[in-house]
Amino acid sequence: MNYFVIGYYALLIGGSCLAAHYRKREVFLILFSLTLASFVMGIVGGENALWAVSIGAGLLALAAGTAYSFREFLILIAGPLTARALRTAPLTAAFGMFVIFSYAVLGIFAPIIAPYGEAEVISQSFAPADENMLLGADQLGRDMFSRLVYGARNTVGLALVATAIAFFIGAILGMIAAVKQGWFDQIMGRLIDVVMSIPSLIFALLLLSILGTNLIILVIIIGVIYSPRVYRLTRAVAGNVVVMDYIEAAKLRGEGMWYLIRKEILPNSTAPLIAEFGLEFCFVFLLVAGLSFLGLGIQPPTADWGSMVRENATLISFGEITPLIPAAAIALLTVAVNMVVDWMLYRSSGLKE
Amino acid sequence: MADVARIVLMRLGLGLLTLLVISVLIFGAVELLPGDIAQAVLGQGATEETLAALRQELGLDRSAIVRYVDWLAGAVVGDFGVSLLNQAPVAEVIGPRFANTLFLATYAAVIAVPVAIILGIIVALFRNTIFDRVANVATLTSISSPEFFLGYILILYFSVQTGWFPSIAKLSDGISFFELLERTFLPALTMVLVVVAHMMRMTRAAIINLLASPYIEMARLKGAPGWKVIALHALPNAWAPIINVVALNLAYLITGVVLVEVVFVYPGIGQLLVDAVTKRDFPVVQACCLIFAATFILLNLAADIGSILTNPRLRHPK
Repeated sequence: MNYFVIGYYALLIGGSCLAAHYRKREVFLILFSLTLASFVMGIVGGENALWAVSIGAGLLALAAGTAYSFREFLILIAGPLTARALRTAPLTAAFGMFVIFSYAVLGIFAPIIAPYGEAEVISQSFAPADENMLLGADQLGRDMFSRLVYGARNTVGLALVATAIAFFIGAILGMIAAVKQGWFDQIMGRLIDVVMSIPSLIFALLLLSILGTNLIILVIIIGVIYSPRVYRLTRAVAGNVVVMDYIEAAKLRGEGMWYLIRKEILPNSTAPLIAEFGLEFCFVFLLVAGLSFLGLGIQPPTADWGSMVRENATLISFGEITPLIPAAAIALLTVAVNMVVDWMLYRSSGLKE
Repeated sequence: MADVARIVLMRLGLGLLTLLVISVLIFGAVELLPGDIAQAVLGQGATEETLAALRQELGLDRSAIVRYVDWLAGAVVGDFGVSLLNQAPVAEVIGPRFANTLFLATYAAVIAVPVAIILGIIVALFRNTIFDRVANVATLTSISSPEFFLGYILILYFSVQTGWFPSIAKLSDGISFFELLERTFLPALTMVLVVVAHMMRMTRAAIINLLASPYIEMARLKGAPGWKVIALHALPNAWAPIINVVALNLAYLITGVVLVEVVFVYPGIGQLLVDAVTKRDFPVVQACCLIFAATFILLNLAADIGSILTNPRLRHPK
């Protein structure tokens, strides 16, 4: 028993007592179960386990603080309508928005932020971190940190373009099917069923083995593979809109299909489509990362998170965590997008009722 | 029961039809190749004679339809032709590896399914409390992480730092079953983490959906405790969606296995597929894709049939 362990338990137990006294049920539950869990962890893992818990709690508090201030900041600079919507955002959603914002900044200003070029060899392979290199060098002696920053531009950019293509194809076909119905709708439906019954990673591998790993081909392949999901959602959403009276009125006015799609259906189905864009982006992003990890995505020397993990994986067997940083970057962005989407879905479902 | 048999047969027929269309897609995709297979294998420097010889050997002088029928007839009895790389019959290369993959997937499923369903029920019981919210964030993180991230974290902590489990899932002849379980524990655990998160969320959603029904309200009003309402009233009706969830996630396991096998250097069919794709060994790629697609369709079919069997209302479509 040293001062740290005593202080640790004193803080937890004192906190639980205070929470119980002021009838804060949730706070008490979480603090006290943490105390009980700490007993077990302390016995199994010793003092290190308790340090890990403290650091974890500190990080969590930091994230919550960042999320809170970022939300207040957004509320201040936004217009009155957006501000009212933002006030309802839970902290998780605000945190997600903060992460997305920082990734966007990293990606857009990559050449300014990164100290070295993405393919610039500046030292020996696997050189440890020093004052020039924040995270050390990779297997060819390139600066890990610079490549990480450029990766934000390349990997996320590629996933965004692929998602946009998937959306373009899926949404347009879905709305045409909803307006036209009949044989077009039927044939599209069956075709989509078949494409969706092949696992996407396997389908991508098959097409890549044939067409080669060219960047443009890669983007198109991924866009095509993920368009069926968008098609289904758009078809369902637009199908509900098409039966409305105002569509009937527009049809009687003699408006054409494109007018109906652009001016009537699209504005009335944006909310679910935007949420779906976020979800779709996560799937596409994970697929791109997976393909790059397998060596079939973005080709070197372009910096890319998936291939960075693979190339430096040998470091893990020496207990280094640097190869995990790009993987964690992928996970963090996906979690962030999911959190924002969760909030948006909740909002759109709440507004409907 | 006659109508059930009819519906099941119809679904089976539909599944076979889908598989047939997919086999056309898989075969046709290779035909899209600029030039042809012989050109792709030998490269630009090949002379006319070697090209002609290889075409002869692969039977490329026949029409695509004849070759497709030939390939499909072979595939049905397990003959997928020979590998372009080492002339070994594809079936011999795939056979043992497919068994390994099935073993890994089963291992993961045996752990994941009960854990996920029990945790899902518990989370549904404690819905909207702080535990539920923590579980929500935790499962979301697990779903959002790429498989290789989870895999390498497990290697770092359970293999490099503590040395409890081997980081490479090497299989050799004559190891005992227990040893096999130990060596494949980390890859199985990686898949368990991803799949449990998915299944938990879906099980929770399935149960909470039901909790809005009037008969649940009735059970509450007569004074049944919360766990009883869920275990005795909600759960029997939730089996259909839960079975669906389980089958869908097992289908997901089949694709997740590719990345996990590469991380742990596990000699399964997923790694074979990736190798074949980089070396452009088309017969192996085609065979692997067909097997993956067939498993995927089969599991989706099982999900359909399972939900029809447990929910009588689905037997009479309106």
